Amino acid sequence: MFYRLSGTYHTSYEADRKLWKIPTDRWLVVAVLLLALLAPLYVSPLYLGSYVLPWVIWSAAALSLTLLMGLAGQLHFGFAAVMAIGAYASIHLVRFGVPFELALLLSGLIAAVIGAVFGGAALRVKGLYLVMATLAMQYLVDWVVVNVPAISGGAHATLRTPAVSFLFMPVESLAARYWLALGWAVLLTVFFMNVKRTSFGRALVAIRDKDFAAAVIGVDPFKTKLMAFFTSSFMGGVTGAILAFCFYRAVTPEQFGFNVSIQLVAMVLVGGLGSVIGSWLGAGFVLLAPIFLTNLVSGLAAAGWVPVSQNFLSHLPLMIYGAMIIGFLLLEPLGLAKIYDNIRKYFLVWPFRHARS
Amino acid sequence: MSSDHVLVCDNIVRRFGGVVALKNVSVAVGRGEIFGLVGPNGSGKTTLVNAITGFYPPQEGRITLDGQQINGLKPFRIASMGVARTFQNVALFHGMSVLDNILMGRHIFMKPNPLASFFYPWWARKEEVAHRRHVEEVIDLLQLAPARDEHVDVIPLGLQKRVELARALCAEPRLLVLDEPMAGMNQEEKEYMVRFILDAQEALGLTVLIIEHHMDVVTALCDRVLVLNNGQEIAQGPAREAIADPRVVEAYIGKPRHAA
Ligand SMILES: Nc1ncnc2c1ncn2[C@@H]1O[C@H](COP(=O)(O)OP(=O)(O)OP(=O)(O)O)[C@@H](O)[C@H]1O
Ligand SMILES: [Mg+2]
Repeated sequence: MFYRLSGTYHTSYEADRKLWKIPTDRWLVVAVLLLALLAPLYVSPLYLGSYVLPWVIWSAAALSLTLLMGLAGQLHFGFAAVMAIGAYASIHLVRFGVPFELALLLSGLIAAVIGAVFGGAALRVKGLYLVMATLAMQYLVDWVVVNVPAISGGAHATLRTPAVSFLFMPVESLAARYWLALGWAVLLTVFFMNVKRTSFGRALVAIRDKDFAAAVIGVDPFKTKLMAFFTSSFMGGVTGAILAFCFYRAVTPEQFGFNVSIQLVAMVLVGGLGSVIGSWLGAGFVLLAPIFLTNLVSGLAAAGWVPVSQNFLSHLPLMIYGAMIIGFLLLEPLGLAKIYDNIRKYFLVWPFRHARS
Repeated sequence: MSSDHVLVCDNIVRRFGGVVALKNVSVAVGRGEIFGLVGPNGSGKTTLVNAITGFYPPQEGRITLDGQQINGLKPFRIASMGVARTFQNVALFHGMSVLDNILMGRHIFMKPNPLASFFYPWWARKEEVAHRRHVEEVIDLLQLAPARDEHVDVIPLGLQKRVELARALCAEPRLLVLDEPMAGMNQEEKEYMVRFILDAQEALGLTVLIIEHHMDVVTALCDRVLVLNNGQEIAQGPAREAIADPRVVEAYIGKPRHAA
């Protein structure tokens, strides 16, 4: 009815490349943005601080990783280490007296350079070997962070983030931290969509799909992959810094361990490789589903609906969670993004059955 | 050799282990010419193309493009010097639409850069639109407009081959190399393809090196041909004469599939 492609004509190449071509989509985006911006007004601080804020930041992290894994097709199982570099670098830079805005940028650059160096070394290998090489990065960075007291403040130390302000807004209150995180996530989202419609994104996808065919039209495979590692690590580094300053506010090495890297990979896979909306949905699912399931199961148990032992009960949410991930990957290997897309298309062409875009 | 040769291959030798796939093959393709490369299966046609485009550099011999040596360069360098090609088995990017695949053909003229993407309205947009304009001309030439927004893996093979040709044309190549552009096509599709190649050659002033099994196509398209057998030249010259050469006929006897 109101959600239609027909009647929307593109009369210039610019218009044809718009991010949101359907007017309804544009209104939807504006509405979602407004809702997100005003969240501190209507979401309780508890929910905002422990659900919405981490969701926004992990979505940014998933976007960073999916640029590399989804678009460029390069596996990375040590992405938490990239974020750790950004987090620790930003804290030390701020302590050193660098303005916070600049520190964010620099920590991203540091993460990008280190990430690209590891990436460059890892790029001599492919597939499983690349996974091993990125794992090596995870352990090496972990080891350095833990064992160099100048970085971590000692093996079991927590490093508090200093008080900072971003463009004259003190990053102190929950709302301010949320807005900064939201701003970064939105920036990454728009960036990602722009990458997809420009030659940089096409080159990444070309390398992923068929590297020999990419080479034959002049794409330098090594340089392009390196650019992917650099860009993705930059995004991940800044996201790590945002995570430190806006969410944790006191960092320890465990917050960026191997299991976090795996969680990030799960977000990217469950959401749908290389998808913007999928990064948000995947991060939301991986982050929030266990919490939601735990609450659900304990609620049901309290009502006496789950007659199982206490020990089994504590494992039940995780088991359901694991089953759900497997279920998703089996039923829709393209992830939550594909499910969203199917629903959208259904409405786009209703009452007909088949859509094209 | 004269400077009016776009491509010159001089005594090319390529071995795979014990197999000698190319034995001292020499060929010179003149500017504006459509040059055919024919021969039975496994005679080394694709290997010669792979040597030219840098995938399997020759172990001996020299390949020059407009006088510049290109053997030894990486495939992407050779591509950026103006050699475009299509593959015997279609090699499109499956994650992209027809339009994006063809836009990829403009890659050598574009400067992919994350910052440009970031500042899209101020930086990348102008470039994208300028190249889009060029791509649309090729889309018109090859009549691909109806398929423009389709995903490449849902369109029929004949159309995929045309998209691959479009992608190669967008690079404005000095030398266009086509590896069996009509493989797997029916008669009608083949005739269309011949038309498209001739149109493109005329419109863009191309120099073409084409591998083709169908002799009717070869005689319709090619000015001159090189016939290979077991990695060796058995005939070279104007299309009709070379194909009628007794040694060529002999090499083809017992291979009825090439009669079509
Ligand atoms: N990568 C490779 N490794 C080993 N041998 C190869 C390789 N590529 C080609 N060959 C061999 O080189 C010879 C020539 O093969 P080529 O693919 O060039 O033939 P062709 O003329 O293109 O045949 P067709 O008409 O079937 O495409 C064959 O004997 C083949 O087995
Ligand atoms: Mg071949």
